[in-house]
Amino acid sequence: MSDSILSVDDLRVSFKTDDGIVRAVRGVSFDVRRGETIGLVGESGSGKSVTNLAVMGLIPKPPGTIDGGSAMYDGRDLLSMGDRELQSVRGKKIAMIFQDPMTALNPLMTVEQQMTEVTRMHMGLNKKEARLRAAEMLEMVGISSPAKRLRDYPHQFSGGMRQRVMIAMALSCEPDILIADEPTTALDVTIQAQILDLLADLQKRRGTSIILITHDLGVVAGVCHRVMVMYAGRVVEKSDVHPLFESPQHPYTIGLLESLPRIDQSKGGELQAIPGQPPDLAHIPDGCSFRPRCPFSIDKCVQQDPLLTEVGPDRLAACLVDVETAERKAVEVES
Amino acid sequence: MSTQIQSDASANRTSDPPLLQVNDLRVYFPFSRGSLFRPEHGFIRAVDGLTFDIREGETLGLVGESGCGKSTTARAIINLVKPTSGQVILEGTDITGLNDRSMLPYRREVQMVFQDPFASLNPRMTVGSIIGEPIAVHGLAKGKDRKLEVIRLMELVGLNPRFLNRYPHEFSGGQRQRIGIARALAVQPKLILCDEPVSALDVSIQAQIINLLMDLQQRLGLSYLFIAHDLSVVRHIATRVGVMYLGRLVELGAAADLYRAPVHPYTEALLSAVPVPDPNAAAARERIVLSGEVPSPDKQYVGCAFADRCWLAEDRCRTEQPSLATKDHAGACWVRATD
Repeated sequence: MSDSILSVDDLRVSFKTDDGIVRAVRGVSFDVRRGETIGLVGESGSGKSVTNLAVMGLIPKPPGTIDGGSAMYDGRDLLSMGDRELQSVRGKKIAMIFQDPMTALNPLMTVEQQMTEVTRMHMGLNKKEARLRAAEMLEMVGISSPAKRLRDYPHQFSGGMRQRVMIAMALSCEPDILIADEPTTALDVTIQAQILDLLADLQKRRGTSIILITHDLGVVAGVCHRVMVMYAGRVVEKSDVHPLFESPQHPYTIGLLESLPRIDQSKGGELQAIPGQPPDLAHIPDGCSFRPRCPFSIDKCVQQDPLLTEVGPDRLAACLVDVETAERKAVEVES
Repeated sequence: MSTQIQSDASANRTSDPPLLQVNDLRVYFPFSRGSLFRPEHGFIRAVDGLTFDIREGETLGLVGESGCGKSTTARAIINLVKPTSGQVILEGTDITGLNDRSMLPYRREVQMVFQDPFASLNPRMTVGSIIGEPIAVHGLAKGKDRKLEVIRLMELVGLNPRFLNRYPHEFSGGQRQRIGIARALAVQPKLILCDEPVSALDVSIQAQIINLLMDLQQRLGLSYLFIAHDLSVVRHIATRVGVMYLGRLVELGAAADLYRAPVHPYTEALLSAVPVPDPNAAAARERIVLSGEVPSPDKQYVGCAFADRCWLAEDRCRTEQPSLATKDHAGACWVRATD
């Protein structure tokens, strides 16, 4: 693991709510290697965004608390850094782009003001240098007449163009890691294709590592090298991208892949839906949190909460059952 | 000989009038912009001459990117926005632009299911009263009968009738969409317009709702207009599919044909851009990445609206507008459509 540049270990995050304590992230560990794209897949509430917000020091406290774990970057633990120290990493070494570029950009500032703010602060550029740098970055992400567009406000850009501006801004300090939280979810498919191509191309040229958070397994299959599947605040499966899709090892991953209609083949008939719904994170059942929805579950799953264990070379899954030999049974869940 | 049989078959089909016919539907929204002294007036051509029909028991999928007019089309069909011109004919009756009172009986025939199950349910009403309201409005049942009917509907969509007196916020997204579907079914409609009914839902829940819609269609003989931007979902659920670009249909055909052999270059590009959940297939697929973005619908195109982004465009595409032929699978394209 010498080429890993970020190492998250046993991260735990919870939030205090009226319903009780919501355990959003319950012991997540992973490494990010240099130049790779690692995908974080899961449904709403699985903890994929909270994991990354915690790494960036962006969890609002209160109501949130980091209950444990570490995130080692460059020999230092991001989770125990003070605000000032974190400022020197956030935006400079680790940058983030969000799902909705309209709310992530300041509507009252021109693109130039927003883009130069980062480079002047982190790279110590003067006004003129920063402007040149901003124009250069806009050109790199494929925005035509960049010098002119710098004077525009975010609303003068379309959705896809705004996401390009966000990417340009995030990459302008040449970060080691780019965290992309559902970067194409708000975009149309043809624009999504453009943005994913752009990210892959920039990665190839600059060697940036990308953490891609998404619910779309199609996007994962297209651009990620490795994948982590999250469910109810845990990583349930971790694998290289090819084996994950060829022979998923966790029943939840199997369920997700089977429930998807596909554009390239006609499945016909009923889709294999996963019955029921994800657990309430304030009241997580004992044992395996996927058990109530799982067609493979056995008696042991009720008491024992499975840990991530090796199921193949560089492959981990958190399941007590061997899904390749186990039999499926019908699941009764009340909806 | 074979052509004889074919024309007989198509004659047979036309003699059986479709459930819904939409003829040359247009919805224009006027706008003014510019300064006080140099005002600029014009129209957003949200829907610009749509013609299609929906047959009994089928699902017509309507796909296209944001702003292509697919939602406006659904709203114009049930008169939530007034069509600028064109006709909407339901079972042989022209219902275009009827006022609310005369529209009421037709609202029973055509219902709508919306995308956002959070915004489309009144948070102050219980599930029982949400589903019971259309029954009351249309005077279909009263008192105990109404309650029994609500319970029947809840069971039909897979909701536990014990939750009759709960409020929408107590339900998950998928359950809320079931409530929306039960409300639409309450007046026993023939046609349901589904506007992105699963796009706000998580993947595992999405499949449950798609299965429910398909199951209800079989049991109740419903027809759907299924609007979605997710082309994989549409392939699964639709009998026929229409592809929209800038307020027009650029292609219309049986789902299997359209996905296997798209005629219009826009359809081809759109299909190729959809990610597939299989890394080998993803690497093998040839993707057409379109340059630029969908242009603004505020100007009138002389030729084909897609010509500026099309890699096949010829001179003719910029001067003459291609139209959609009336055959089983047709694309509005000068280059691709052969006859």
